[in-house]
Amino acid sequence: MSEQVSQLLDSLRAKAEKGELLYIGENVVRVDSLEKVLGNPVYTADLIPKGTVYAKLFHSSVPHGVVKRMELEVARSHPGVLGVLTSKDIPGLNESSAVLLDRQLFADPVVRSTGDILGAVVAETSPAAADAAATIRVDYERLPAIFDPLEALRPDALRIHEKGNVARQMKIRKGNVEDGFSKSDIVFEKTYRTQFQDAVPLEPEVGLAIPEDGGVRVIGSMQSPHHTQAAVAKVLKLPPGKVRVIQAVTGGAFGPKSDETPFDVCSTAALAAVKFRRPVYCGMDREDSMIMHTKRHPFVISHKTGVSRDGMLLADESKIVGDTGAYASLGVFVIVRATFHTVGAYEIPNVKADSYLVYTNNTYTGSLRGFGGPQAIFAVESQMEELARRLGMDPLEFRLKNMLVPGKKNATSAVMDASCGLPQCVEKVVESSRYREKAAMYSHQTGGVRRGLGIALLMHGNSLGPEGNDYGAVHMEVLSDGSVSVGSGLTEYGTGAISGMMQVASSILGVPLSRFRLERPDTSKHRESGPTVASRVVVIGGNASKLAAEKLRAKIIPVAAELLKADPKNVAIADGVAFDRRKPAATVRWDEIVEEAYRKGVTLREEGFFMAPAAPWDQEVGQGTPYVQYTWGALIVEVEVDMETGYYKVLEAHTAYDVGKAVNPAGVLGQIYGGTVQGLGYAMMEELLHKDGVVLNPNLGDYYVPTSMDIPAEFKAFIVEVPGPLGPFGAKIIAEPPIVLPGAAVRNAVLNATGVSVDDLPVTSEKVLMGMKLGPSARSG
Amino acid sequence: MTKRAITISVNGTEHPVQVDVSERLIDVLRDHLNLKSVKEGCSTGDCGICAVLVDGRLVNSCLMLAFQCDGRRVTTLEGLLEDPTMKQMQGSFIANNAAQCGFCTPAMLMASWDLARHSADPTNEDVKVAISGILCRCTGYYQIIDSVRQGCKRGGP
Repeated sequence: MSEQVSQLLDSLRAKAEKGELLYIGENVVRVDSLEKVLGNPVYTADLIPKGTVYAKLFHSSVPHGVVKRMELEVARSHPGVLGVLTSKDIPGLNESSAVLLDRQLFADPVVRSTGDILGAVVAETSPAAADAAATIRVDYERLPAIFDPLEALRPDALRIHEKGNVARQMKIRKGNVEDGFSKSDIVFEKTYRTQFQDAVPLEPEVGLAIPEDGGVRVIGSMQSPHHTQAAVAKVLKLPPGKVRVIQAVTGGAFGPKSDETPFDVCSTAALAAVKFRRPVYCGMDREDSMIMHTKRHPFVISHKTGVSRDGMLLADESKIVGDTGAYASLGVFVIVRATFHTVGAYEIPNVKADSYLVYTNNTYTGSLRGFGGPQAIFAVESQMEELARRLGMDPLEFRLKNMLVPGKKNATSAVMDASCGLPQCVEKVVESSRYREKAAMYSHQTGGVRRGLGIALLMHGNSLGPEGNDYGAVHMEVLSDGSVSVGSGLTEYGTGAISGMMQVASSILGVPLSRFRLERPDTSKHRESGPTVASRVVVIGGNASKLAAEKLRAKIIPVAAELLKADPKNVAIADGVAFDRRKPAATVRWDEIVEEAYRKGVTLREEGFFMAPAAPWDQEVGQGTPYVQYTWGALIVEVEVDMETGYYKVLEAHTAYDVGKAVNPAGVLGQIYGGTVQGLGYAMMEELLHKDGVVLNPNLGDYYVPTSMDIPAEFKAFIVEVPGPLGPFGAKIIAEPPIVLPGAAVRNAVLNATGVSVDDLPVTSEKVLMGMKLGPSARSG
Repeated sequence: MTKRAITISVNGTEHPVQVDVSERLIDVLRDHLNLKSVKEGCSTGDCGICAVLVDGRLVNSCLMLAFQCDGRRVTTLEGLLEDPTMKQMQGSFIANNAAQCGFCTPAMLMASWDLARHSADPTNEDVKVAISGILCRCTGYYQIIDSVRQGCKRGGP
């Protein structure tokens, strides 16, 4: 143990002497792992004070209608009930919207989905609130409803919102697709469909509000506290300063907690807290959450693709329709990201894409890990597989011919620079999976159990792109005990990204991460830093953290130099010890420097602000450079299919991601494993079923999430590091990308094993069996 | 609501408590006894993150009524914080990055500790079976499985 430590210290000092990076690239222990393995009470529901009352939301039972009458008297007189809140109790704006202002907190009088919230019962106990809510009867005037986004797109379709059914439209235009098609030897068209996916963070959406100082303090599970503050303030008609929002430790998020649902629970709790002058907890149970929160958009994506006989892609025309359900939410940005990724990781000289985000009367959809990427890549990687088969080419060779490499142009005509590490990713997974050997072996199978390999490649634009200004602020202060306190409006919800962001500062300051403390994000202390979405914490927050640490270092080095009687230029700090590079024997401890700085009146408190460079996108022309850098990846899966029943298993997964620089490799692998398994759930089993707008399986008994028994027996993950221009030390994003590829990889593997194309996710055994019984093409379309 | 007086032994201490007949074990643990490591994720016995030991067997505390626990021994993570096997398991979880959002972590640790009592060198398959009743949405299980295998080794990993 002590020998290991002294070796580590020697290596850190050697690095510091040469001015090399400390800690970056090391498997550092996260700042928040101890509280988690101790089971500490740090989540919202653990923080409920004595005297708290409970708010239970109730929602519409019809997909489209006008509320005529709500029978609330029975609920009001139920034992323990303080009152029932409806739209009439809202002092401010009845609004709970992220972007388009198309959604009310409590729907009145029109309901547009069965997820529309009508109000909340507030009672002394959670069971009393739930029992009372169950007595509420609502009379509706039923309106006709639309559940198919293609039907909603028709010009004569009934309008779900006054402005029409298209919430957002977008296009890409590169070259001339008609030219491309006319030069093509094969032009192939197919339509692909994806399903509703529920993110299932294990902690559902919850908020706790405590009345204070003529306003309210809100503690909740969320990704974006400042956005929640603005939403609550609007509903309560309070100045934002009177609404203090604190993000509690958050038990998983995956996107929905950056969307509108946290507004709903926090606004309701705050509304009730102010009205009843009591602390109020508004927590969704699993069923509430699966009905009322945002899900992943079902998409219908059609590709028409032209290719030459020798396998060069010449043109692609796609139509992308996303079902946003009754409200747009962050879907207006989801459709943008999906469109940018419509031809994935391939160079095609002529590209035309038209996309539509469409309202229906299904429950609403929004932000979810991958943010349009999983749908777009499922469609295009399925299309690539179909093309390779029609060309009689090996699917890998076809992809190698057309994939993006430095110098090539993607769909928006952005030129790939030297930071494109896709070829290295492909090489890793091909070698690891023994693809060539196995593909040959599996090409002529006749038995009752057959195997197949499936490939999918990834391009994933980093950070927000044209979704908005991409910035973040990090506040950093060295406390009297020498610990470094870090605060930001950016949040941690499981990935470890905030630890990564702090690891960047730890490297600059030469102080180990164990000396760092994370402040709970708090709107009364920390700067608004945009939404914590798009896996942008390490890249954007990391840069802000680097800037703050550099400012602190500039103040600390002169103090250390004076103590060491050295030239500041020669002072280095490693593992909390400063020394003179010329005379490394003399040292001064970090704590001594901190104390000396305090005595000298040197304030060790700084802020770093970073804004990503603009990503120009001309929406009229449909061309531009929407992202400053990209994450690259490749996945090969191997399946085994029982030809009699259609039952299949994923035996192996081999995957590689170019993350630029892995700040904490164990953390990067955690994202790759977790994202891939969540993606395998999307590929194989997960589907939130709607029938006439009603969610049929809002529980974890009927909605299947992968368990430990469902994961591939062999999983090989590789980290590729080709530095990018945007992130600190070349880092690229990684939390979202791994969920993107499994859909297509599994579908393609099943196709190669059985000859059955399943074009609508998830690829269930039933669909495979039906495909085998009816013939390969009978199920498509 | 009918109240019943019961006595539950929780983490080695006898607790006489008055419970409603409809109250669940998780309610008693979290609300009466302030044991917040026990998490609620689904309320239907599907996610397993409320798992505790009752008379030495792993159960979902959202599916057991409190009065059914009269006279039984219940163990939660809080009761094992000084246990050497649990400490080793926790250390292994930290070292292997097995806790991401952390919401399933206490239940995963309980299932892992239960496995460690019976097996010093479990296979991947043994671990998968032992934790199969507990969902984790963050990790994809691989780093948990590595942690549990190391954490089960006698005399430290």
